[in-house]
Amino acid sequence: MNGRIVGRVISYIVLVLIGLAGIAPFLYLLVLSFKSRLDVLTVPPDRHFDWSTIQENYRTVIHDDHYVTFVVNSLVVTGVATLIALGLGVPAAYAFSRLRFRGADTWASTILSFRFMPPIAVAIPIYLMIRSLGLVDSRIGLILPYVAFSLPLVIWIMIGFFDEIPREIDESAMVDGLTRPLVLLRVLLPLARPGMLVAATFGVIFVWNEFLVGLYIVNSADKETIPIAASSLLTVESPIDWNIAATVGVLTVIPILIFSMVVQRYIVRGITAGAVR
Amino acid sequence: MTAVTAHTGRPGKKARLAPPTQGRGEAWLLLGPAALYLIAFSIYPLIMSLIRSFQDYNQTKDTWRWIGLRNYQDLFTSAEFWTVVKNTLILMTAGVAIQVVLGTALALFFNQNLRGSAIVRGILILPMLLTPIVVGLMWRALLNPQWGLLNWLAVKMGLGYVGWLSDAHVALWTLVLVDSWQWTPFVFVVVYARLQALPQEVFEAGSVDGATWFQRLRYLTLPLLMPAIVFAAIFRGIDAFRTFDLVFGLTNGGPVQATSTLSFEGFQNGFEFQRYGYASAVSYVMVFAAAIGITLLLRVVRVRRMDVAP
Repeated sequence: MNGRIVGRVISYIVLVLIGLAGIAPFLYLLVLSFKSRLDVLTVPPDRHFDWSTIQENYRTVIHDDHYVTFVVNSLVVTGVATLIALGLGVPAAYAFSRLRFRGADTWASTILSFRFMPPIAVAIPIYLMIRSLGLVDSRIGLILPYVAFSLPLVIWIMIGFFDEIPREIDESAMVDGLTRPLVLLRVLLPLARPGMLVAATFGVIFVWNEFLVGLYIVNSADKETIPIAASSLLTVESPIDWNIAATVGVLTVIPILIFSMVVQRYIVRGITAGAVR
Repeated sequence: MTAVTAHTGRPGKKARLAPPTQGRGEAWLLLGPAALYLIAFSIYPLIMSLIRSFQDYNQTKDTWRWIGLRNYQDLFTSAEFWTVVKNTLILMTAGVAIQVVLGTALALFFNQNLRGSAIVRGILILPMLLTPIVVGLMWRALLNPQWGLLNWLAVKMGLGYVGWLSDAHVALWTLVLVDSWQWTPFVFVVVYARLQALPQEVFEAGSVDGATWFQRLRYLTLPLLMPAIVFAAIFRGIDAFRTFDLVFGLTNGGPVQATSTLSFEGFQNGFEFQRYGYASAVSYVMVFAAAIGITLLLRVVRVRRMDVAP
């Protein structure tokens, strides 16, 4: 019995250590964002905090560094790109799940494999395309490639969800005289809503964080998304004011933190979709 | 090719599945927009990359010139390229190995369903969602040579000063460490979900038979978890093969080329040095390698779908 209690205690210590390993880098960043430029250099960070320093750091980033502009750009680009990807991807996934047509397998596996293609393999031609379309430095210039990147993900996730909905539902609706597209629109979309949330969640995560392609498409501050702005602000070579950099980091994490709390179960469902089903 | 046969129905059931009013028009209506979009923004760029890999870009005149296999020749004879290949493979194999072992261990640990473990599971999801550039920032702070917390700890524990990002022999392993911090949770989530889905009776039967904990793990739990582990490993492997963000955010490929990966090499040559042709050749080497990985993954996904098919 005693051994059991000791085992429990050890388990809890391990649990706390795992949690710490996960969260410590975040906490460290938070602490740095509360320090002045010189206080950052104290190791380990002391417990002295100064309200005016904190205000100063956050005001610098939010006010002087256009943080709000970046958030708005990120929201618009992510929102529009995800909606378009859903609009294109959901019907396509439905077709793959229900219809039999020539070349279906080739198409589906091609689309699936785009999810795993190295982005660098398309980044350069896409950049040149956007440049020749005259869309450099615009939100549309970002949205166009981002839709293409999240589309395979959306289709892949949605095929799985449509497969789970019994075909008899479609068939009885069609007996009632609805055509395929109408069946999808009126009958299946409400049923597939959890799947669409999972797909949207993953689309949002991807687009929100993308910067490899975006870095060169956009080059004026008023069109930059958060990661693009952060990466031009924080490149490895340039000298860094660490307190400000940490503040940028914290402000970048906060939207993700809020988002993840809201959609956690969709994230887990999406990741495990391929593994357990 | 084969992976999606399960999606589109199995041949034997064709008669039942074929709906009365199905026409080619409907398939086009549903599938056409996505297909056209992907042709324009994925397939076309991919083909352009292939063409560009046989060309040379003249930056001042903005013109392209055919040079046959020269880019590939330059690539395969450059020592830098092979260093980068080696880095990518180390990052991929070492990273995935660590993540699979730790992720599986975490899944087994969390399977005890300790009170409060849901909160820790929530924390573990976070690193995966993080903007890569911020991951780089965080760890550059932690690893800072002058005031970083990790060197302070290393010195305290008597390990001495470590050049996490500046020592050419260490830097790549630092990348493996950070990559594992961010992606071990992915393996954990996949394996844990599978573990929770297994019927508990199997394990009870095992302990009634008097099997030790290790025996049950070796002969019962791990074999049952293997499909999820393999899936997670291949998935992670393909992603690690493409690693770009981490290098960009943490080391910029340095010191010298010690931490550069194939993606980063392509990025630098293309966007920073405007050597589009050479960069396209680098990326096409990646496309071919990735195609192998994708084929493997599709096979695993298909096998699983077939397994559970009624």
